[in-house]
Amino acid sequence: MLSYGLVGGHPGVFFEDLAVGQEFTSPGRTVTETDIVIFAGLSGDYNVLHTDAEHMKSSLFGERIAHGLLGLSIEHGLASRGEPAAAHGALSGLKWKFKGPIKIGDTIHVRSRIASKKDGPDPRCGLVTVERELVNQLGEVVQEGETEHAVERRR
Amino acid sequence: MRETPTASVQCFFEDVEVNVSLETPGVTVTRAHVAIFTGLTGEMPASDPDSVPSLLPLSLSSGLGWRVPRPPLAVLAFMGFEWRFLAPVRVGDTIHSRSRTLTKRSMREGGVVIEERKVINQRDETVQEGKLTLLVARRPGA
Repeated sequence: MLSYGLVGGHPGVFFEDLAVGQEFTSPGRTVTETDIVIFAGLSGDYNVLHTDAEHMKSSLFGERIAHGLLGLSIEHGLASRGEPAAAHGALSGLKWKFKGPIKIGDTIHVRSRIASKKDGPDPRCGLVTVERELVNQLGEVVQEGETEHAVERRR
Repeated sequence: MRETPTASVQCFFEDVEVNVSLETPGVTVTRAHVAIFTGLTGEMPASDPDSVPSLLPLSLSSGLGWRVPRPPLAVLAFMGFEWRFLAPVRVGDTIHSRSRTLTKRSMREGGVVIEERKVINQRDETVQEGKLTLLVARRPGA
């Protein structure tokens, strides 16, 4: 039996416990202006896309949008709340597309599906590839891609 | 609508030089960075307080790119990227990034630039690397 939403502090789920085709849905989260301001301050990325409301009125988007990497970082946090911990083991790689803007007030969640399992360079771990979609309140996929995780094998 | 005052001091698609290596200053990753980042993302803090979330060095590298002796790239949109996490980053490590443009391709809206980026620690080890695809604005009036 897999446990959901419990990362750490519960008996681990191992590489062997994960099956190709398993799907997970995360909780939702509303992205706020504060999230964008904090990410700009933390990363140092003050691109006008994220920080100049007046400039963005005349842009394609009509308003400030979240940094793509903020969306991905929130995606990562949301996914960790909707999956067994092991499906979310150490990231070894990712391929990611930013398909549409995340605007202030948008509510996003993550749909994930285990796409493949394979051996990795470390014999103690297997590599699990997860396909992920970040979806807004209108059902639009705003970001998508796959993440690869090194997941510990049962001893 | 007012003109953005940054418009004249940006690096536009026409200004992007292929194959020129750009090295950023460094930033020391602290527990404060980790606390702010995990608070922002909502991921469970790791049991080891000195472990750095994988996506934090990548996020910091996007800001480091603003601290080079070149005007900031006039990015219209970050289209996508591929990334490898090669080695862990620890609190106390000082990272910087080294990047170069691999290709540039003209489009109707602007131009697509593919940038190779490495995140390097104080021991000159590449800890993360990948390729980023950016949509960059043309010089206004060009």
